[in-house]
Amino acid sequence: MRREECTVEAINLEKTYRNGVKALKGVSFCIQRGEIFSLLGPNGAGKTTTVKILSTLIKPSGGTAYVGGYNVVDESLKVRKIIGIVPQDLTADDEMTGYDNVYVQARLHGLPRNEAKKKTEEVLEFMGLLEAANRKTRTYSGGMRKRLEIAMSLVHSPQILFLDEPTLGLDVQSRRHLWDLIMKLKREGTTILLTTHYMEEADALSDRIAIIDLGKVVALGSPGELKARLGGDRIYIKPAFNQDLTSIKEKLVSKGYEVSILNGEVIVKVKKAEDSLFDIINLLGDSKISSLRISKPNLEDVFLELTGRKLRDEEPLDSFKYRIHSMRVRK
Amino acid sequence: MMGATLVLLVRELKKWFGRKPVLVMSLLTPVLWIALFGKSLNLTNMLMPPGSLEGISPEMMKVIEQMVTSRLIELFGTTDYFTYISSGMLVVFAVFQGMFSGISIIFDKRLGYMDRLLVAPIPRLSIWLSKILAVAVRVTLLSLLLLAVSLLLGMNLKDGIGFLDLLASWSYIILLAMTIASLYALLSFYADNQEIVFAAGNLLNLPLMFTSSAMFPVEQMPEWLQRLASANPVTFAADLVRYHLIGRPVGDYSAELVKLVVIALVMLVISGWASLRWMNNR
Repeated sequence: MRREECTVEAINLEKTYRNGVKALKGVSFCIQRGEIFSLLGPNGAGKTTTVKILSTLIKPSGGTAYVGGYNVVDESLKVRKIIGIVPQDLTADDEMTGYDNVYVQARLHGLPRNEAKKKTEEVLEFMGLLEAANRKTRTYSGGMRKRLEIAMSLVHSPQILFLDEPTLGLDVQSRRHLWDLIMKLKREGTTILLTTHYMEEADALSDRIAIIDLGKVVALGSPGELKARLGGDRIYIKPAFNQDLTSIKEKLVSKGYEVSILNGEVIVKVKKAEDSLFDIINLLGDSKISSLRISKPNLEDVFLELTGRKLRDEEPLDSFKYRIHSMRVRK
Repeated sequence: MMGATLVLLVRELKKWFGRKPVLVMSLLTPVLWIALFGKSLNLTNMLMPPGSLEGISPEMMKVIEQMVTSRLIELFGTTDYFTYISSGMLVVFAVFQGMFSGISIIFDKRLGYMDRLLVAPIPRLSIWLSKILAVAVRVTLLSLLLLAVSLLLGMNLKDGIGFLDLLASWSYIILLAMTIASLYALLSFYADNQEIVFAAGNLLNLPLMFTSSAMFPVEQMPEWLQRLASANPVTFAADLVRYHLIGRPVGDYSAELVKLVVIALVMLVISGWASLRWMNNR
């Protein structure tokens, strides 16, 4: 049953692709009006699949979803009217000018000619692309391309905006610029679904985050709530020799520390790292240590705690798209 | 539906006109085809007896010439093969242009633009329709050019040709172009790379051309080939267009017209339906 308070609601979404890959295994969440909601997870977790289902690009194999109160399968045309989507891959036509790319979107969203023209100029200016508007898109830099994608998604003033890995491959400056923009859209009342595998990004922007892994939501809450689950800091100890892992662990456990071993490191959970560090170093005694680091509560650790794996992995790319992408970004 | 189709059609044409080298080449192609192919393959010249032959009286030569001429008229509907082939070329060119619907679809898919179109609030059939109509517009412009060049090079239209003849010819050429464009559109929605379209083009275009009356009259073909030709929409279009443009009689006008229209409708419906299925079931 659809809940009234959810602007976007996913109920037990499942997706099995034709090649047999199970991308989603029952994803549920509810996004409230005007919030920034993030799907945080590694590549292949199912973030993009979720966005594709919510934006009516693909159909779920199981479960349902509502966007703006409309069923994404039965009322897909109505859904498409009120959403904007910035897909992960570039979608602008690089043989068309920036202006034409945006204008076509405006027209496809049913804006009459004059209004489409006005809105196109407005949104290009908003994205800082007015000067480059009459250049073919293939001459754009990577950052400009991304901004154009956003202009194309905003020209019809959508109530709900999906941003799929919007800052992937952007330099620090463009990323900051985009973050400011996202916050600005939120202030204007847009409901935003953001997917990312950068924990800093999810942390900085989101009202709430769903951590997603292997096609399932493994945790959901505000960044503060999620980090509070860790119950304190982490101290990572990497011994010089792997065979020392267990002896170090035993030493610490005997003194009442909560200790685990993962990826060749001993992880000690403590309330406050500064207070325990001296004691722990003393306890290590003559064990040879190659590195030792302190980690304040962060989403990376939350993910590690929940799944036993790191957030960032290498991603396989469709080689053709990748070539095109790098061709487009090169200039 | 029509609003969105029109926006997308304008996009297709703007891109076509925007690619200057491609535009120049696609405009040059029909010119070269008709000028080189049409003029070099001149069957009338090949068949005509020489001016005089030893041991044959001038009167006899006249008779031979008359025999050849009447055979030519019987086959081509004119004594001038160039007129025959240039009218056929109009039809063949429509077939060759049909492929571009597919190429455009494949590239929209690969470059991500298709995803953009699929999340736009438009009837998805308009995406398919815009590709088919883009071919129709291209063929219209190129056919006019081809016809103009043919006339300059000596094509003879039938006496008393009227506007309705031109309109009818245009309709049949467009109908054929859309039939072929439907085929490639269908193929391209389900195919993953552009090579399939080119391979299909290489596989289909020449057989479609040679198993039809576009280049050579069906009547002189072996029987098995005649059977193929009489099921080939290119034959129907060529016969009908020739009837209107150069006055070559057509066996059964309405039967050929019905067959052309039915094949076109069937192809359009299948292609539209299957394309929509691909877009809706991912």
